Amino acid sequence: MIQCKTSKEISGMGHSMKRKEDDRFIHGKGNYTDDVKLPGTLYMDIVRSPYAYAKIKNIDSSEALKIPGVLAVVTGKDLEQYNLHWMPTLMSDTQMVLPVDTVMYQAQEVAAVIATEKYIARDAREAVKVEYEVMKPVVDPFKSLDADAPILRTDKPDKKDNHIWHWEVGQKEETEKIFQEAEVTVKEQMHIPRIHVASIETCGCVASYDKVDNHLTMYMTTQAPHAIRTVFALVAGHVGLTEEKIRVISPDIGGGFGGKVPVYPGYVIAIAASFLIGKPVKWIEDRSENLQADSFARDYHITAELAGTKDGKILATRMKVLADHGYTDASANPSKFPTGMFSIGTGSYDYPNAFMEADAVYTNKPPGGVAYRCSFRVTEAVHAIERITDRFALEIGKDPAALRFQNFIKKEQFPYHSPTGWEYDSGDYEAGLKLAMKGVDYDNLRIEQAEKRKKGELMGIGLSTFTEIVGAGPSKDFDILGIKMFDSAEIRVHPTGKAIARFGTKSQGQGHETTYAQIIAEELGIPAKDIQIEEGDTDTAPYGLGTYASRSTPTAGAAAVMAARKLRDKAKKIAAYLLEVSEDDLEWEPGKFSVKGAPEKSKTIQEIIFASYTNHPQGMEAGFEATHYYDPPNLTFPSGAYICVVDIDSDTFEIKVRRFVAIDDAGHIINPMIAQGQVHGGLTQGIAPAMYEELIYDDDGNILNGTLMDYLVPTAVESPSWETGHTVTPSPHHPIGAKGIGESPTVGAPPAIANAIVDALKPYGITHLDIPITPYKIFKALKEKGVLDKNIVES
Amino acid sequence: MEATITKIFSLEAPIKEVWKRLSNPKEISGCVPGATITDQIDDNNYKGEVTLKFGPIKTKYDGEITIEEMDNDAHTMLLRGKGLDSKGKGNAEMTMNGSAVTTDEGTEVDFKMVVNIQGTLAQFGSRLINDVSAQLMDQFVDNFKKLLSGDEVDNSLKAGSMMGSVVKGLFKK
Repeated sequence: MIQCKTSKEISGMGHSMKRKEDDRFIHGKGNYTDDVKLPGTLYMDIVRSPYAYAKIKNIDSSEALKIPGVLAVVTGKDLEQYNLHWMPTLMSDTQMVLPVDTVMYQAQEVAAVIATEKYIARDAREAVKVEYEVMKPVVDPFKSLDADAPILRTDKPDKKDNHIWHWEVGQKEETEKIFQEAEVTVKEQMHIPRIHVASIETCGCVASYDKVDNHLTMYMTTQAPHAIRTVFALVAGHVGLTEEKIRVISPDIGGGFGGKVPVYPGYVIAIAASFLIGKPVKWIEDRSENLQADSFARDYHITAELAGTKDGKILATRMKVLADHGYTDASANPSKFPTGMFSIGTGSYDYPNAFMEADAVYTNKPPGGVAYRCSFRVTEAVHAIERITDRFALEIGKDPAALRFQNFIKKEQFPYHSPTGWEYDSGDYEAGLKLAMKGVDYDNLRIEQAEKRKKGELMGIGLSTFTEIVGAGPSKDFDILGIKMFDSAEIRVHPTGKAIARFGTKSQGQGHETTYAQIIAEELGIPAKDIQIEEGDTDTAPYGLGTYASRSTPTAGAAAVMAARKLRDKAKKIAAYLLEVSEDDLEWEPGKFSVKGAPEKSKTIQEIIFASYTNHPQGMEAGFEATHYYDPPNLTFPSGAYICVVDIDSDTFEIKVRRFVAIDDAGHIINPMIAQGQVHGGLTQGIAPAMYEELIYDDDGNILNGTLMDYLVPTAVESPSWETGHTVTPSPHHPIGAKGIGESPTVGAPPAIANAIVDALKPYGITHLDIPITPYKIFKALKEKGVLDKNIVES
Repeated sequence: MEATITKIFSLEAPIKEVWKRLSNPKEISGCVPGATITDQIDDNNYKGEVTLKFGPIKTKYDGEITIEEMDNDAHTMLLRGKGLDSKGKGNAEMTMNGSAVTTDEGTEVDFKMVVNIQGTLAQFGSRLINDVSAQLMDQFVDNFKKLLSGDEVDNSLKAGSMMGSVVKGLFKK
């Protein structure tokens, strides 16, 4: 049980305080980008390419322009005049805003219609006639490096192939030697397919340029408003939109998950249109546009290997990745990490050696990939790590839990230096797995499984013991387009003891309005309900890098603590002054300073705050305000132990998740209810790719499931009953010992489910299946093994 | 994406009469739902339009039909069609092999059509293409029979006709 230091009234750390923001959301009074209604707003709709790879011969807007209410049809040639037809990506590649001569993926933006009403814009979009010359696209990433593959990036004059970059980390020669000499080696080829964040709210913006002030206000769905403002200033500064003339406002966001980090062409076209016309331009994409054109996630082809002894001591891991990035590298990673945090590669295990490498290629698909609730590719890494670990257990005939205990990094080994260069701050993997096994009654499950197998029933148990790496990040290693990844908090307390605190992060549902207030309440003793939290307006919030990769609590949360402690220091001085004692004679309890030995002589924080405006000591600055920009000394390393139990129908191969126990360790928890909510949501987004979601392209680059009819986002019907618990291993370097948690479940869940299904199929000799694992995939695999007919005959 | 549709049907008419009509593009287009010949370029080349409606999706293809081979003795033909979606949403190509033989009842006609769709419509995959093409074939056969028996043929597209027939067809299976 979590011991709270503050009362329920103050509601500091550990209280399951109800979320302040839920009131407006439940009443349908959220303020989303589409709710922004400015007078004179024009509407934008986008004409999109039906082909994956084609030359544009002609764009005929004449019919569209005849429709009453249509003001303009913007094309690449129009933007070219202002040098706005291309823009930089977050990974220092370039991306088209609108094409001038070639389209590179199906659903790519080709032209934009601006009209007085939304439905006129939609009708006009249908009236724009585009003539294409279709070319054969490059769809298979393995084929993109063939000598005869067309070179896709003809806009890069020196480019002779479709290779983007090569990356590697670890000990190549030592690892090679270990693999040569090891008693046991295992190898599996895995594809983690493209999926899409599919947030309930799609992307959009209202770009409002004021010709009189030469000022742009951009309401947009963005997880990183300040960084975006700086990017816009860099791209459009040459036409007069310098940074002080741009205000980005990110209102309520209905789910981000990484999908609202990139700058999509729609945003830039809307700004350009508003700039030229001088009226607000609104663009909100519909669901199919969102699914088909926005940045995707994952699409890593991984060859994973382990080498070790036959009694289970693993000595090295090796991974080779082919990364399909679509037609440009528009992924969202810190600039020195093209594969994000994929290099967490040894996971929760103490492997002496590791070698990881990746090659990224261009294909005719939407650009990306975003970090979909994956901590910058940790989901990909953990999937490979946990799958190959189970594979090794299968190879040597050892129980997967036993193999993990044998290879875990031990509690005493922290801070732990991994062979891929990370310093893990803290963890207790054994405690986590033990708790999960207890929760699921592991030993009895294995007994039940053995008995079921005798009867030909398919039951599987899958483990996933993962280490996450979040909180980007320390300035010495981390930056996005050169901007360091600190974050900030600014706390201002009013004379009557109520406060407003602003942050450089941006919640898309994580509960910051509540959790940040709880952090400040813990440090200052001001009730959390008296602290108003604001994020997302670049004119008022301090500069920050936004919310993604579970970084808010590790960075901005820490900034809030440091700012609050600055205020507490000031409060102590004022209290000493008011009580006429020296600061050393004072002791603190949440909300009050009292004199040691004379507790009746005290001042509440409210009295102190009031005094800062009405009776502050001479020579001290009046007011009660502090700001802190926090540069984390290290990342934080949450972890988890997940166990999934599945039953598979031996005739239909329908997969039922019987139980899913998730034990998470994110250090000290701010609000247990919110943390649990994060885990529930993340687990659901974890079962999604494991069993249902995958973006499928045919050989012509057509997306075959670009609507929710065929792209299977799990509903309540598909979601199992999640059982959650936690262990607490605080972060030694974080001011309140907290780590991030938002992405742990999406990272840890898919391999737990995949491992369970593969375990269920063990009697048939199945060693691996790629996610999403469907009844059809199981049927196909068993048929290929030749075991299918046997089964039918026996039953 | 590519789809192949085959259709074999029997007619109670002699092969000479069947072939006379089958080998005339103007008569045939009159039997394909939503199709019209707009122009004849030369003996073997025609310009035409086909409108397809499937639920909310309506596409019109403007294109050309070419008679590649026509053997009036062996009763075989090879047609090629190419069309561009009038809104620029895609294109379609079609190759059709047709043949007729005499049977006890009259004539048996064998069509094999290979359709290649590119663009937005291809997103729906073979699921849509096969069903729609099969429906087109069925309605064509019905219309052709009417033509042979001298009845009036109305090949205008009925609203929702395609959708209705396909859905009914699914239940028949």
